[in-house]
Amino acid sequence: MVTSQRPDDAASSLPSALDAWFESRGWAAFAFQREVWRAYLGGESGLIHAATGTGKTIAAWLGPLLEWHAECVRGEALATRQRVMRRSRAPHLRVLWVTPLRALAADTRDALVEAQTALAPEWTVETRTGDTSTTVRARQARRLPTALVTTPESLSLLLTRQDIATLFDDLRVVVVDEWHELLGTKRGVLVELALARLRRLRPGLRTWGLSATIGNLQDAHDTLLGVRPRPERSRIVRGVEPKRVVVDAAIPPVVERFPWAGHLGTQMLPQVVAAIEEGRSAIVFTNTRSQTEVWYQAILQARPDWAGRIALHHGSLDRKRREWVEHGLRAGLLRCVVATSSLDLGVDFSPVDRVLQIGSPKGIARLLQRAGRSGHRPGATSRATCVPTNALELIEIAAARAGMERGTIEARLPIARPLDVLAQHLVSVALGGGFEPDALKAEVRETRAYAALHDDEWDWVLRFVTSGGASLRAYPEYAKVVRRNGAFVVESAMVAKRHRMAIGTIVSDGQIDVRYLRGPRLGSVEESFIARLQPGDRFVFAGTPLEFVRVRDMQAWVRRAKSAAGAIPRWQGSRMPLSGALSAAIRDQLGEAARGVVRGPEMEAVRPILEVQRRWSRIPAPDELLIERVRTREGHHLYIFPFEGRLVHEGLAALLAYRMSRSAPITFSMAFNDWGIELLSRDPAPLPESLAAGLFSAHDLAQNILASLNATEMARRQFREIARVAGLVFPGYPHAGKSARQLQASSGLFFDVFTRYEPDNLLVSQAHREVLERQLEGSRLGRTLARLSSSRVVITEPRRTSPFAFSLLVDRTRERVSSESLADRIRRMQMVLERVAG
Amino acid sequence: MTAEVIAAGETLTLFSQRAALWARMDTLLIADPHWGKAAAFRAGSIPVPRGTTTAALGRLDRLIACTGASRLLILGDLLHAREGRAPETLRAIAEWRSRHARIEVVLIRGNHDRRAGDPPRELGIACIEAPLFEPPFIFVHHPVESAGAYVVAGHLHPGVRLAGPGGLRARLPCFWFGARRAVLPAFGDFTGLAPISPESEDRVFVVAEHDVLEVTGPSSSRGSGR
Repeated sequence: MVTSQRPDDAASSLPSALDAWFESRGWAAFAFQREVWRAYLGGESGLIHAATGTGKTIAAWLGPLLEWHAECVRGEALATRQRVMRRSRAPHLRVLWVTPLRALAADTRDALVEAQTALAPEWTVETRTGDTSTTVRARQARRLPTALVTTPESLSLLLTRQDIATLFDDLRVVVVDEWHELLGTKRGVLVELALARLRRLRPGLRTWGLSATIGNLQDAHDTLLGVRPRPERSRIVRGVEPKRVVVDAAIPPVVERFPWAGHLGTQMLPQVVAAIEEGRSAIVFTNTRSQTEVWYQAILQARPDWAGRIALHHGSLDRKRREWVEHGLRAGLLRCVVATSSLDLGVDFSPVDRVLQIGSPKGIARLLQRAGRSGHRPGATSRATCVPTNALELIEIAAARAGMERGTIEARLPIARPLDVLAQHLVSVALGGGFEPDALKAEVRETRAYAALHDDEWDWVLRFVTSGGASLRAYPEYAKVVRRNGAFVVESAMVAKRHRMAIGTIVSDGQIDVRYLRGPRLGSVEESFIARLQPGDRFVFAGTPLEFVRVRDMQAWVRRAKSAAGAIPRWQGSRMPLSGALSAAIRDQLGEAARGVVRGPEMEAVRPILEVQRRWSRIPAPDELLIERVRTREGHHLYIFPFEGRLVHEGLAALLAYRMSRSAPITFSMAFNDWGIELLSRDPAPLPESLAAGLFSAHDLAQNILASLNATEMARRQFREIARVAGLVFPGYPHAGKSARQLQASSGLFFDVFTRYEPDNLLVSQAHREVLERQLEGSRLGRTLARLSSSRVVITEPRRTSPFAFSLLVDRTRERVSSESLADRIRRMQMVLERVAG
Repeated sequence: MTAEVIAAGETLTLFSQRAALWARMDTLLIADPHWGKAAAFRAGSIPVPRGTTTAALGRLDRLIACTGASRLLILGDLLHAREGRAPETLRAIAEWRSRHARIEVVLIRGNHDRRAGDPPRELGIACIEAPLFEPPFIFVHHPVESAGAYVVAGHLHPGVRLAGPGGLRARLPCFWFGARRAVLPAFGDFTGLAPISPESEDRVFVVAEHDVLEVTGPSSSRGSGR
């Protein structure tokens, strides 16, 4: 041990085996790790936050091992231990380790096993995820391992087991890994509910969360611990100081020839290749899956000699391929991997010494996280180079670095009362031994997510799973959850089977497997994409040009295509919106530019373009709201620049168009991106009147948004997820019988039927609420309006489209990227216009 | 609001209630009512509100009243599933039948009817296997090709997507008339749509609330540009 001072506290004195183990790897325990062990052994729960690769896993894992050790020494566990040895069976489940991605489970297990073999050889550590084989599942059905690494979905599945009353008798702790990833998602709510359940079954259970540093750690801690009358003591532990992070940008040689905005090309390829050459091993992050395919092909064309030493990695690739890539990264076999956020998390890739970020990182926390994937060697620096795909992205990059240096990091806001998840949970608990309504209601309210659950909401959800809807319209043939001897249980084997199958699908958004006609599975893609294809169409997937053959048995069958010529582009569905913190940083950057201050190479490079913006229109100061009015042959354009990110702008565009259309009959065509909003109309918009009438007022915000047509369309989209979670729609599965297929309908159809025949359905209201709160970031929209209404409105009338507005022009057309020719699109739009007018 | 179309020399009137009238033969045509579908879902413990079948029957009441048709020809999939033969659903259908005792009702069996079974005999609905040949038409459930006559079919639940400026988008059920074949929209409310890819010379009539409108040009999400 390197530490010279050991605390006297017996609980924290490290057993000699641990000493030896640490010494054998040349490690020393960090002070924060000791703090966690001490707190854990003292019965506390808590949240540990630090950058990736700084020993959070060891901090959380050694506590339970030390506890086992102490129990053995004290003789408490001795009897067990002897029994265990004699019957060569491992101790019962003591540790549940929850990880957000099933791709991480195997790596996590390996990391846990290292310390476990040295310190608690009689333990077993296993994974349980959607990927677990049926043999292992069968074994786990008889007996769980001592420590189980699992996902939120598989944890929920555990709660449906009949033997739940005794299953967790020896459980000491639930560790939630990468808690920041789960916070603010429905999967996080699933974890909250499971924790509440486990705490009831096993009083005194401890909970430890591992998190990256985020802007609202207290929230993260409170959500993990729940709202209980007498919680155990808990603390927030800060890990070691983050490594030094260096962020720079690849500067285009001639910025004037660089597209102002919106271009997704690979013109920075030479700089990217040069950066990869500098280091030993690099990860090239892109923001969308389709971009990984584009860049992988481009790099391979530039350096054909790297074939076999470069790879790509994204979430829809087959697990075996992903594991091969991850292994290659760890072993230092790969020159570079092109990846999406699928590589944001996970155990260390030590050889990686350079990270490249294609396009704006869109968030400060994300930039930090991605940069942190490089430089894992002791004393090394994390280095990330951002590669702009257009000139204005240089400003976003400069802003992200400035935000990072100031320590501004985004918060992850927890979500409140998703009734679809609650409905799912009720069926899970009904399966796992049943429930008594009042007791379960009290238990559910111990979670942060449902602390403010109204009685009528609870009653509605209870009716939803028992009688299928509002009591007056109870459906006699419906029997999902039934009451037997005072307890609510599931009796139908079909309901049980379908529910267990549906639990795992909370995130998979209509994915469909891609498989060679003769050969292996390649991965999965969005069903909506496959639905657009016809036999013979080509597309690129996993770096390979493929020809679509047919869909059968819920799989897309393909064969290899000779070339990618004429390939169908994939929809850019997962474009990431700008975060709130980064939006604010961008406004600051522009504020400096407005005062004529130019700092940093990125702002220096983009100066000529900002100069054009200043000459033709204006660079807004932080307290100004810039509105540009431009007239073209298309009509009257209104460009509004709140700089708040695409999500907020989507809601804001609908709201502003709706409010202006109330003061005069007018039709707007809307577009929005991360920087602003475009409203296009045939006649001039009634701007002065609308401004006077409170265009940016927060008054009647919710009503106004829901009133716009677009909002209902958004609610319909949002309902897809809700329908799946609440068990209305369940995934088809290969070889499903005809009777199963006859119970399939699309969520859109459900939405329409509910809206028409049962308008008070709370799942429909939830869809509306989710659009407001999450899709449109309701509270952020409110704050934005508050800021805008106190801003000074500056209206300019540039004669040509300004650089800022140009970004919208390009983005808007890109919104309609499809496989159609432009002529077809325009013809169709005219046709629709005629029909609407007629 | 209605639209008229001439197919194989015969005039058909298209109704926004998703039915067609062959006036010369006094025949009302519908396809794919899928009655009892919601009940089948409820029996499978998936909560679907009541009222879909009743609403469809009401729509049929109005169609019969305003056309005065003496015959109703159903192009398949009258009942959705065996599990959907709930007493309540069958009662609603029987009540509807008794309101229109005079009208002749013919069902050409579809794939769902084969599993769900024929409607109760006392309803007086003649159930036959396709094809029903009534020159110049052949009435079937599956839209097959026929050399001899103009095919009128159901089964597909045809729909088209429309899009316009300002994010205007719509997905609507449609009547689809090709050179040798027509496909009717699904009559039932709880049925869903399948996007079609019409040829350029095909005629497509969408049902937009209370109107039937002809649309032209590429109307699915795919274009001819590739």
